[in-house]
Amino acid sequence: MSVRTHTATFAITLLAGSLLATPLMAQDKPAIDFYGVKSVSGAFASYGKYAEMGSQLAVEEMQETLDREINYTTLDTEGNAGRAIRKVQEAINQEDARLFNGATLSSTALAIGKEVDKAGGVFMTPAGADELTGSECNAATFRWSVPTYGAIRETLVPLIEKLPDAKRWYTITPEYVFGEALLQNAEKVFEEYGLEHVGNSYHSLQEQEFSGYLTNAMSTSPDVLVLLNFGAQSSNALRQARNFGLNEQMDIVMVWSAGLDQLQELGADNVEGIYFGAQYWHEVDTPMNRHLVEKVKEAYDITPNYPLAADYIMTRTMLEAVDASGASEGPELIAALEGRTYQGPTGEETIRAADHQVIKDYYLLQGKGQAEMDDADDFADIISSGHSFVEEDKSVCQL
Amino acid sequence: MLNVYLFQVLNGLGLGMIYFLISVGLTLIFGLLNFVNFAHGAFFLLGSYLCYTLVTLTGNFWLALVAGPLVIAMLAWALERSLIQRIYHLPHTFQILVTLGIALIIQELSIMIWGPVGKSVPTPELLQGVVRFGNFAYPIYRLFLIAFSAGVAILLWLLLERTRFGALVRAGSESTEMVSLLGSNIFRLFSITFALGVGLAGLAGVLSAPLRGAHPFIGPEVLGLAFVVVVIGGMGSFSGALVAGLLVGVVQSLMTTLWPQGASLMIYAAMAVVILLRPYGLFGRA
Repeated sequence: MSVRTHTATFAITLLAGSLLATPLMAQDKPAIDFYGVKSVSGAFASYGKYAEMGSQLAVEEMQETLDREINYTTLDTEGNAGRAIRKVQEAINQEDARLFNGATLSSTALAIGKEVDKAGGVFMTPAGADELTGSECNAATFRWSVPTYGAIRETLVPLIEKLPDAKRWYTITPEYVFGEALLQNAEKVFEEYGLEHVGNSYHSLQEQEFSGYLTNAMSTSPDVLVLLNFGAQSSNALRQARNFGLNEQMDIVMVWSAGLDQLQELGADNVEGIYFGAQYWHEVDTPMNRHLVEKVKEAYDITPNYPLAADYIMTRTMLEAVDASGASEGPELIAALEGRTYQGPTGEETIRAADHQVIKDYYLLQGKGQAEMDDADDFADIISSGHSFVEEDKSVCQL
Repeated sequence: MLNVYLFQVLNGLGLGMIYFLISVGLTLIFGLLNFVNFAHGAFFLLGSYLCYTLVTLTGNFWLALVAGPLVIAMLAWALERSLIQRIYHLPHTFQILVTLGIALIIQELSIMIWGPVGKSVPTPELLQGVVRFGNFAYPIYRLFLIAFSAGVAILLWLLLERTRFGALVRAGSESTEMVSLLGSNIFRLFSITFALGVGLAGLAGVLSAPLRGAHPFIGPEVLGLAFVVVVIGGMGSFSGALVAGLLVGVVQSLMTTLWPQGASLMIYAAMAVVILLRPYGLFGRA
């Protein structure tokens, strides 16, 4: 037999072996059952739709990378905490589900976290409530987004440095646990920097007409108006503030913006010159974010926004941990996630073992005018980024 | 501090005129047709989205102001002829069920067409800017809304009180058979009234778009507010809608200074007080 024949035989054997081995290897590792808890219908569908895209994309990618089957199931919360919890309970009891991610609303996330904890599973969420990794933390719950403490500090502190003459600050706050947490953290910053908090207007969670609150703000002649509300309320508050010409009298900052989708909704006319705090921005220059922007463009022909990026990286991180630990529930998987450092869209991100909070950057953006935009989604520039978290020894979380 | 209250009253009057515009279509339809239209908020929503689309395509808000309500009125006409007309004689619960279904269809179609994320509509160039009063500023667009709503109120009053059409509609609301026996086509009259009421909801949606944008879930909130105004004013009362709209606007605006977190609550508290003292509303008839 010639050398050429030997080589050909080896190559054919290798090829045949690899073709046979691939399905065998995939079969060696059991399938991963993964549940995405998303508000794909109902009042929060604008968030859930993108969150679902993020999880789907991560599952597709990880299926190739891990070379194992991933059974992804969407549980539609319909924007309703009660229905979400019922669906999660059914999945746990009837399908033996243990791996969950998502949940837009804090109340939903807190309740799901408790259910998953009882079942010995793992749940990762981008929800905002401080309690998730604070007073109501538990072994099963992990949270990607920056809590109110970090959001306030990473928004207001750089702004205070940027606007040294701004001494009088006015806040508009939704009367709700989350709004209260933002307000308390803001008041601490005002005190720390010797600034005058000239007033605050609380409003109900149903409010959409802000002219009265803006009149209260005008009456105190502040240098900066701080919007501590979020979602449709912050959009309407900002629209109406511009309508009343407040942007010409004072600087305006929206501490907890939803990022790109909110800026798209508002449009360049409304965002120009306004400051926004954001969990994620597509122009962040990190390896993972460049990858994400490219993949999202390929898959959906859009630019990734916060819900998409958050649910993408959470899904990916959980699946990587499952693969690394070989466990899809319980203490082994939790141990694999605790202290885990990975490349996230905001750069290097670490899951703090003490409270299951992801340590990541928060951004301060400034809106641009139409003429300054390089492309249709270039609504803002990042003017500051960094991370601030309550220190481990001061955290109220007891795991 | 006095200035704040004075300004809040002024702001409340402006807000009240917007509330009047939102609710007058609902009260017209109920008062004249005795029909409960739970799709009122959805037609408002459609008005906002039509405004967004027309402004985006043509850059002309004024075109949207004319075309938006007209398109919605035509849609309402078709809907009335094909569906609504068949349920006039049924109890209110059936009317609520059907119109709630229409509202859900409009909402879901809006999400399919325009997406789940809201849209913004720029203030027309001519009406941008503010009028300043010391520390305070009031948007020119809101001043325009007050004047425009007042104009609509006068035109509607003239239409209902000073024209043959108005007389027939008022007579029809009292006795359908009598008007029919006198040789008038009562069903055509009802179709026009329904289209007019729904067109007014669309008009309110178009005019509110630069203030609130267009959002697929705005319908139920607008419907709730319209019902509060209509209940306070008296179901079916045109003057009641105007007075109640102003009352709700002023109460809400003043409360944002006196007790901000209770401002929305006070609207409903005002409604409860009116129901207790005058169960048929300020201008309603038993």
